[in-house]
Amino acid sequence: MPTATQTLSERFDPKMLAALEGLDFKARYVMEGFLSGLHDSPFHGFSVEFSDYRNYQPGDDLRHLDWRLYARSDRLCIKRYMQETNARFYVVCDTSASMKYQGRAAWGSKLECAKVLTAALTWFLLKQNDAAGMVTLNGESEVPEFIRPSQRPNQFGLMLRQLESLRATGGASLSRLLQQTVRLVHRRSVILFFSDLLEPSEEVAMGFKQLRFHGHEVIIFQVLDRDETEFPFTESRLFEDVETGVRRMVTPAAARESYLARFNAFMDAHRELFRNLEMTHCVVRTDENPWRALAMFLAERKRLK
Amino acid sequence: MLLSFLNPWFWLGALVAAAPIWLHLRRRRETNLMEFTALRFLDDQPEPRRSPLRLRDLLLFMLRVLALLALVAAFAWPYLRSANTAPVKESRVYILDNTLSHQANDGFTRDRDRVLSEIAKGASDIQMAVIELTSAPRVVVSFGESREAARQKLKALEPSFQRGSYLAAFRQANSLLGNSLGDQKHIILLGDNQENQWNEHVDTPAFLRNVQVDLPKITTLALPNLSLSEPRVQRIFLGDKSLVNFTVKLGHAGEAKTANIVLRANEQVIFNRAVELENQPETILLQAQWDADPAAWLRGEVTVDGTPDALAGDNRVFFSLPPVIEGKVALLAQSPYLRLALSPEVMRGQWATRMLDPTKLAAELAGNEDADVLVVESNYLQSGDARKLLWRYVTNGRGAVVLVNRVTPSISGCLRELGFEAEGTVTSEKASAERFQFVYSNHPIFHPFLSPDYGSLMDVKVFKHVQLKGSQAMPLIFSEKGAGLFFQGTKFPGKLFVAAFGMDREHTSWPIDQTFVPFLDLTLQTARAEDPTPTTFEPGEISKIQLPVGSAVKEVVLRDERRVLSRAPLEQGRTQVRMPEKPGVYMLTYDDGTQVEKMFSVNPSPKESQLAYVDAPDALKVWRMNLPAATAKSAGAASRGKLSLSGILQQRWWWWMVMGGLAALMMEMALADARRERV
Repeated sequence: MPTATQTLSERFDPKMLAALEGLDFKARYVMEGFLSGLHDSPFHGFSVEFSDYRNYQPGDDLRHLDWRLYARSDRLCIKRYMQETNARFYVVCDTSASMKYQGRAAWGSKLECAKVLTAALTWFLLKQNDAAGMVTLNGESEVPEFIRPSQRPNQFGLMLRQLESLRATGGASLSRLLQQTVRLVHRRSVILFFSDLLEPSEEVAMGFKQLRFHGHEVIIFQVLDRDETEFPFTESRLFEDVETGVRRMVTPAAARESYLARFNAFMDAHRELFRNLEMTHCVVRTDENPWRALAMFLAERKRLK
Repeated sequence: MLLSFLNPWFWLGALVAAAPIWLHLRRRRETNLMEFTALRFLDDQPEPRRSPLRLRDLLLFMLRVLALLALVAAFAWPYLRSANTAPVKESRVYILDNTLSHQANDGFTRDRDRVLSEIAKGASDIQMAVIELTSAPRVVVSFGESREAARQKLKALEPSFQRGSYLAAFRQANSLLGNSLGDQKHIILLGDNQENQWNEHVDTPAFLRNVQVDLPKITTLALPNLSLSEPRVQRIFLGDKSLVNFTVKLGHAGEAKTANIVLRANEQVIFNRAVELENQPETILLQAQWDADPAAWLRGEVTVDGTPDALAGDNRVFFSLPPVIEGKVALLAQSPYLRLALSPEVMRGQWATRMLDPTKLAAELAGNEDADVLVVESNYLQSGDARKLLWRYVTNGRGAVVLVNRVTPSISGCLRELGFEAEGTVTSEKASAERFQFVYSNHPIFHPFLSPDYGSLMDVKVFKHVQLKGSQAMPLIFSEKGAGLFFQGTKFPGKLFVAAFGMDREHTSWPIDQTFVPFLDLTLQTARAEDPTPTTFEPGEISKIQLPVGSAVKEVVLRDERRVLSRAPLEQGRTQVRMPEKPGVYMLTYDDGTQVEKMFSVNPSPKESQLAYVDAPDALKVWRMNLPAATAKSAGAASRGKLSLSGILQQRWWWWMVMGGLAALMMEMALADARRERV
């Protein structure tokens, strides 16, 4: 049970999250824990903005009286606020086979982690009266699953059902997903992209460039497992690629150095790419607290405002 | 010695051996395998080597394959072919015709000697059986019997007077061959190829499959023969005289010109004279009459003698006739002729007549003292009591004679209930009166009238008669215009005779004709309830004896003049008696008594006297099945070499294969368990 004195990392219990049944519960758990841990409520920061004044009428809440204006002009005016509803968010979730990987230290697979984050952010966005939609590729299907952005109350349930149905199957599908996103999202939007990006293809980079070219703001949540970032294996094993079926006989002690060097180069290349494209890049590890990603998202949203 | 298989196509089952081969060749699931996502960063690592396909657990594999192959081999039924396992080359069944017709020219003795000869010199690889063709074919010698036993049994065979069925004999022979050991099946008929025997069963479905049939070679299509058949004897009363009317058929084929006929009855020669046969039909009906004591049994025989005659066994026929028991007649008629004809003065000793009073029919109904036969004129049937009385007679199995002298609606209704429709009355002038045109002369009532001694029925005139149509009756007399005049009803258990006219001068001249009293007597005799036991049989035929309920008799005894032939105990008053093989007159007595209760005459079938033969009977072609199936089977037999099916079945290789397969399975299970525990 989290307490007020705990740090963010301490508040997160991966076991509890893994034990929760249903994405709805997991999303609420993540988001409410995150909100209660924040010192600065996001509702006081940017969700409600001043619009104009109107004359005071008996019965109005005195807290909304502009006392300064009264002091200056001797008029009783009530501040009016305007809720912002202009931003459209698209959640794009990669379902290639590599997303089903779950290392020993992880609290869930990469896809599961992506689903939880997606659900939490959707819940949060809808709470803020933002419009949220979704683009996914389910399985080997060439036809994308598309949910038009909306801020209606039932949108969360709709997206939740779509997330529940996602399965990481088939081979690499990241480049296809990017192409479909480019094709489907026309108006300038904020795209929350969840993927491990472990698909070596020029088309992937081209897809991100096209998104940028169309004026979309893209926030990339790169979901990785500790096994992928640190390669902590010790025993010699036969490794098989989940997407291509390629096998390699690997002795980790001998291969780790080379692996990490190549992996870091891969990550650097992506960071460089996203920096050039002015896209926010956030690495989410499946064994870590997802709040970090949420905090980064909030900071980025503030920047976008 | 060569190993061969009875069902080689079962080896297709060996394909199941592919299962253990696949099980032992397939790659095991890698236990050291790890699925990973970022293998693109490890592509400089070496690729794993794939081990070549090789059989693992060789011992287990061999045990499994061995078990499967052994079981498949067991189903394929292996056997060894060798010279000393071919005991039977041919199975042969002789059908020895022992019917009366084959006694012609001593055919039976000649064929019996032939079978004896062939059994004596038969090779050891031929198995033989003999079926005797009599009324019921029987296996005299079966395949398993020794030759000496077969010889003894054949020598004991005597010529019979019976008639048998070729079909039954061939069926039995085919059944024997079905369970025989020989590759070749053979039926040899040793008979006379009598034509009427073959023609009896031309519609029988085919049943002879893969069987060779040898028929006797015939030298002539017919043999000369004199024969006697179908003796019929009846008692007739003419006034005070009690006569016996006897008829017998004399058949003659061939060149005989005369035949001497001798008729004996109760040890007396009634008739002994030559009969001319030239220019006579092949069957002549001989008739004789003589006085006989009506109170005594009558037994006799007729013999014929002449040349040429190939068959002597049918030259003698026997007959018997029970004594007369006085019958009771109830008469409800106004006709003075009927009253006179049935009066004691005319019918004494034969019929005791009781005149029924029309005013006391209710008492008659209540009295329940029915006579044997009721004679009633239809005008009395307007009375309900008379109808009830008639109904009681015909439904209780007693006899009734109805004389339709009048028709009213109520009488028509009564006749309708009896199975007749009255459609009006036909009256003719005296000059143009109806006469009898067709009379059913083979009926027991009219059969004696074939003799002119009783007068001619064609002289009878009918002036007035009712048009009757019998829906459930058989007409016995038709008029010249085709009208039915005398009927026998078939609706009731009791015998019912209906005349379409009354017996008076207004209707007919019959009462004053000399045929009237014999006709009346014969009608009453036929209408009277009969003893259900027949008295004429063929040799070997079964007679069913039934005694009245409550009879104290325990057994019936069949005997001839000198000795007791058989005894049959009674169960619930019923038993069966088999008639002797030889023709003759036989008596039936009860328990230890000597009083003759019944007398049976046994005569051979007249069909056996028809000595016409056929060389290639059509029936045999019909009985044979199509050749291709037989060819296929014989080809299969040839593929087995000289080994018979039974020889193969006697070999137990399949059993050892099954045991071997099960043993291999048990070892496999034990070995697999041991390895599992070790793991």
